[in-house]
Amino acid sequence: MRGGMDNIISGLNKIFESRVRLGIMSILSVNDSADFNGMKQLMQLTDGNLASHLKALEGAGYIASAKQFVGRKPNTTYTITQEGRRQFKAHIDALEQLLK
Amino acid sequence: MNSQVEDIKVIREMMERSSKFLSLSGLSGVAAGVTAILGAAFAYFYLLRDPGATDYNSFQESLILLADALVVLVLSLGIGFYMSWRKAQRNGAGLFNKVTYRILYSLAVPLVAGGIFCMIYLLKGDIRTVIAATLIFYGLALVNASKYTYGEIHYLGLTEIVLGLLAAVFGRCGLLIWTLGFGVCHVLYGLVMHFKYDARRNG
Repeated sequence: MRGGMDNIISGLNKIFESRVRLGIMSILSVNDSADFNGMKQLMQLTDGNLASHLKALEGAGYIASAKQFVGRKPNTTYTITQEGRRQFKAHIDALEQLLK
Repeated sequence: MNSQVEDIKVIREMMERSSKFLSLSGLSGVAAGVTAILGAAFAYFYLLRDPGATDYNSFQESLILLADALVVLVLSLGIGFYMSWRKAQRNGAGLFNKVTYRILYSLAVPLVAGGIFCMIYLLKGDIRTVIAATLIFYGLALVNASKYTYGEIHYLGLTEIVLGLLAAVFGRCGLLIWTLGFGVCHVLYGLVMHFKYDARRNG
């Protein structure tokens, strides 16, 4: 989609190039926490697709996870980290700058 | 450029859909309004047509009014719940998620308090206070819950509060103001919301 040069100049964060990741960050930035199934339902994704993007964001330190059990079923809850919030805001600011 | 506009769209949509109850159906507002008008018409023609001659202190009359109000409440809630459930299904969203519980809780606190308050005054036979209080508490519940749904609900709530205060001042016109608040306002706001949010998306 976007070229590499573009990203360096524009200040857009490469980790947020996927819309799924933008969706995850958006949900977590306005909610204290969100669980896996809730996000899956909101964005209408498959388990594998959502899980891989969550993993990438967690790897970058932008979100944190906590495993819980609802009855016998495991359900992972996610929260945004301070760094994640900072990076996400910077990314939105960069998007806005580009649109001006 | 286009891809950035799309990005912003995704961000906005996900922020909104994850924090707001958007399954509220405009037509259920219209249905609630019509139910309220019918309920008020029943109360008026059956009991209150001649305000001078009616004895508000009669326990039987209070019970009939209570039954009338409960039928209106159950029908409105039932229709609203059913239509919201259908809208949620159409949009592929679940009805019972965290936002739904949040909005139900913020509605419930003023409504339960108001409901108990109204029961106390209904048993005392003070219908005028009940009419004003139903409008005021309902309006407060809407204002309280509006941060989790469409902005129109905030203004509907403010309208109901003002009408409730008017009903408290002009007790004689109580039932008329009540019909305006629960009937006409619901129909009007319901239509606005239907054409603003529902009709365009389906059509």
